[in-house]
Amino acid sequence: MMEKDVIIIGGGPAGLAAAVELRKKGIEDILILEREASLGGILRQCIHDGFGLTRFGETLSGPEYARRFIDEAEALHIPYAVDTMVLHISPDKTVTAACRDGLKVWKAKAIMLAMGCRERSRGALGIPGERPAGVFTAGTAQAYINMYNRMPGKEVVILGSGDIGMIMARRMTLEGARVKAVFEIMPYASGLPRNIQQCLHDYGIPLYLSHTITEIKGGSRLQGVVVSEVDGHMRPIAGTEKEYSCDTLILSVGLIPENELSEGAGLTLDEQTKGAVVDEHFQTDIPGVFAAGNVLHVHDLVDFVSMEAEQLADCAASYIRGRALAPCTIRVAAGSGVGNLVPQRLSGTEAVTLSCRVRSPQRDGTLVVMQNGREAAVHAFKRAVPAEMLHIRIAAGALQRQGDLEVSMK
Amino acid sequence: MMQTYTCIICPNGCELQVDMMKDRRTIKKIEGNLCPKGAEYARQEVQDPRRTIATSVLVQGGVLPLASVRLSKAVPKNQIFDVMGAIKKITLQAPVQAGSVILFNVLDSGSDVIVTRSVKAGGQNV
Amino acid sequence: MDTQYDVLIIGAGVIGSAIARELSRYDLQVAVLEKNLDVCNETSGRNSAVVHGGFAYDTGSLKAKFCVKANRMMGDLADELDFPFKRCGKVLVGNTEEDMAQLNRTIAQGQANGAAGLEIIGTEKLHELVPAVVGKFAMWSHNSGIMDPFLFTVALAENACHNGAHFFFNRNVTGIFRDAADRYHVQTAREVFSSRWVINAAGLGCKEISDMLGITGYRVIGSKGDYIILDKKLGALLPMPVYPVPSNTYMGVHVTNTLDGNVTVGPNAETVTDFSYYGVPQGNMDFLKESASRLWPHIEKKDQIRNFSGILPKWVDENGTIQDYKIEIRDDVAPHAVNLVGIESPGLTSAVPIAAYVVELMREREAFRPNTSFDPVRKGIRRFADRTPAEQDALIRENPDYGEIICRCEKVTKAEILQAIHNPLDIHTMTAVKYRTRCMMGRCQGGYCQMRVEQMLEQELGRPAADIRYCRPGSWVLAGKVRE
Repeated sequence: MMEKDVIIIGGGPAGLAAAVELRKKGIEDILILEREASLGGILRQCIHDGFGLTRFGETLSGPEYARRFIDEAEALHIPYAVDTMVLHISPDKTVTAACRDGLKVWKAKAIMLAMGCRERSRGALGIPGERPAGVFTAGTAQAYINMYNRMPGKEVVILGSGDIGMIMARRMTLEGARVKAVFEIMPYASGLPRNIQQCLHDYGIPLYLSHTITEIKGGSRLQGVVVSEVDGHMRPIAGTEKEYSCDTLILSVGLIPENELSEGAGLTLDEQTKGAVVDEHFQTDIPGVFAAGNVLHVHDLVDFVSMEAEQLADCAASYIRGRALAPCTIRVAAGSGVGNLVPQRLSGTEAVTLSCRVRSPQRDGTLVVMQNGREAAVHAFKRAVPAEMLHIRIAAGALQRQGDLEVSMK
Repeated sequence: MMQTYTCIICPNGCELQVDMMKDRRTIKKIEGNLCPKGAEYARQEVQDPRRTIATSVLVQGGVLPLASVRLSKAVPKNQIFDVMGAIKKITLQAPVQAGSVILFNVLDSGSDVIVTRSVKAGGQNV
Repeated sequence: MDTQYDVLIIGAGVIGSAIARELSRYDLQVAVLEKNLDVCNETSGRNSAVVHGGFAYDTGSLKAKFCVKANRMMGDLADELDFPFKRCGKVLVGNTEEDMAQLNRTIAQGQANGAAGLEIIGTEKLHELVPAVVGKFAMWSHNSGIMDPFLFTVALAENACHNGAHFFFNRNVTGIFRDAADRYHVQTAREVFSSRWVINAAGLGCKEISDMLGITGYRVIGSKGDYIILDKKLGALLPMPVYPVPSNTYMGVHVTNTLDGNVTVGPNAETVTDFSYYGVPQGNMDFLKESASRLWPHIEKKDQIRNFSGILPKWVDENGTIQDYKIEIRDDVAPHAVNLVGIESPGLTSAVPIAAYVVELMREREAFRPNTSFDPVRKGIRRFADRTPAEQDALIRENPDYGEIICRCEKVTKAEILQAIHNPLDIHTMTAVKYRTRCMMGRCQGGYCQMRVEQMLEQELGRPAADIRYCRPGSWVLAGKVRE
């Protein structure tokens, strides 16, 4: 069994940023394990621009954003193994992975989970109807078009207004497909407003809110979908059915942290984020196992993924050096109007930034962090949508050593 | 007249209210922007809407079949499909280096087509 | 192409494949014509995947006789043909006095049928067997089990193929003619096959083929059943299938564990006339969840990974009463033609005894010479996921393709996918790879591996992207290239 100070699982934006930062903090014995043939993660297929404005102050395409970190990791000679798929991690921090040389086993002082997320599939939605070819998740369509040079279809309907779905609406239009419409079951879009503008409106693609697909048609290749309006409880309204002929259905209905390995290791997962429960050091309930990026909670921007991983590296470096991290016994809960809160546990002794999302679009709202009946922090905003993460800074002195926190909309 | 625009400069996606004359030349007032870039965008959007695009070009003899590309700056919105047409005609030979310009001043737009992903020479291995 | 055969089997479902294998024990030129692009694309592959005990069928019926016989031999068959089978038992759960009476009748019928290992158990034993079930008592059938219907049919077909049977896919039979010399000429869109014997193993198409043979008058209805598949997380809560107390004609919505740790919920039973529509309506999914939750209250929408449906061909009389299997040779109307009508549940379980019976009927009319080189043993694809770490390491060292995981949910490797692509039956659909390896069957439903499988199919077969098919004819996967 080989020993490592830290094993980083996943060579995407989170893993790369953590590796670079750990090395800068003087941690030498790092290994990144990546299942793909090259580093970069999902950014490799996100060829559109708009990445990096927060982290680098300029707008980059996905491959360019990834390249910055890959170049840095290579310049720092950080070891990585590609085509290596981790099969199992155990609570004693043993990592088992498969590659073409055999089954590899490492024992790590610290493990960093940076596996990213995956897309919800048709099955998870339980869309009724037949099961023809031609139903793709947005990310699959994106990989086919941008990496494999394959066109999924020509007459397209999109279900879900997630960012990748909207970006694929534009991408497929540019490549000659006819994108008929985007349907969203919620009364508001789940992706960012700028994508509604530049990916849909710019190309005359209609977005129908409070609509969903109630039947998929076609025994061989997709022939069409039946779309219905939904009521306030997201139930289809009888009599509103309309059929759209199409050969391709793109699903952009949400992302889920990729937590097969976390579950296998016995980590506690959060019901809302579907990622691990972590403390302010991004440490899970197994000491020395850290998580950041989309495997922890699905982010809106890759910039925040990188920055979160960099923050994690601080704490992980201390842990590897054997320094005790402050115990985190204060629980943070999401109250009314708030979801996807991270981290879930705090020490109460250090300044911390909470990240969360509003549950529905809001204007001129205030988020309040309450502890022991008093306001520990307040965050006012002009406008907030569920598509974007909100960050609430809590000063070190603002917290008491005991007493759980609740974050809610005022 | 009043018109609403969604700013596409950053993820905030500010809703911009633009009060302008009917000729769309004189702008009276811009509201809703959280930063000066928003006002600049609104002005541009009213008078000369421009967009950038990202797509791919065919690569021969590379580890990937495609190299992704972007434009160095936005082109007039109504030129997008013509620019796509010009890019589609290009075939590159591996190796391809990210950052290299493969088409200067595409369709006289003043914008260059830049490779955003390097592709090494070799057998395909996506 | 030599299209002169001794026996033509129409249909490569589990019955046609089993018959092909039984016939390959003899020195005969056997061909199987299948309208789909793979084996078991219809009824055989779309069901609960339960190996039945034989207690649920009328005493003296062919269904009872074959099922009891098949249940006994399933273990040996699984060893011989290398397909997954588990004798996990099953329970029929009841609550009322009426239920108890019905279960006692079921046991009596089962015993009369020759089914062993049937007993009534109380709450305590029931909850020991299946802790997560809701019910007061149950009938426990020790010998019931679960299997993989795809791999069972694939195994039968591959072994038949290995022993000389020929399989032809994408061959929809459009007409059958008997010439003056009593040879049959079976027409497909591409060619005419000629043969001394014809076997109608067409499943849902049994009535059409029967009519083509000149054996008219059968009334066959479709009974469509929908299913929901649940995530593997739920597998631990269901060590054996849990059924309600059955009525005479319908087993009821049940929950069934699969060999891979998933759970299926279903089926409802809806009479249909369109035998090619497999859509699952929302109302039926709601009904399944509601019905099965009374027995096993762990069905959550978040754990649904897929739905599917299947259609059973049921032969009914003029009153609509469901009949036993009809397996006949009508020497008067269609000599040398074996006609199988209404082969529904428990057809998957009973396939091999049914096939043996078919061959018996044929041998009553013609002596067959044995195939001296017949080899009953078939080996399947060695699966990476099923092995211990040491075995996995050894597999990779033997063949490094075992070290490349293509399907992350089901841990399917490149080596397995390559073996599936180059399968003995020469089938090249995406679902052929899926059913043979479990690739794309996991919780991400192919989100990650589908494009890799598609690309491997292109590369291995040297076919353009637009020629790759998902499952049925016409099910193109990709429109072509983005850039040529």
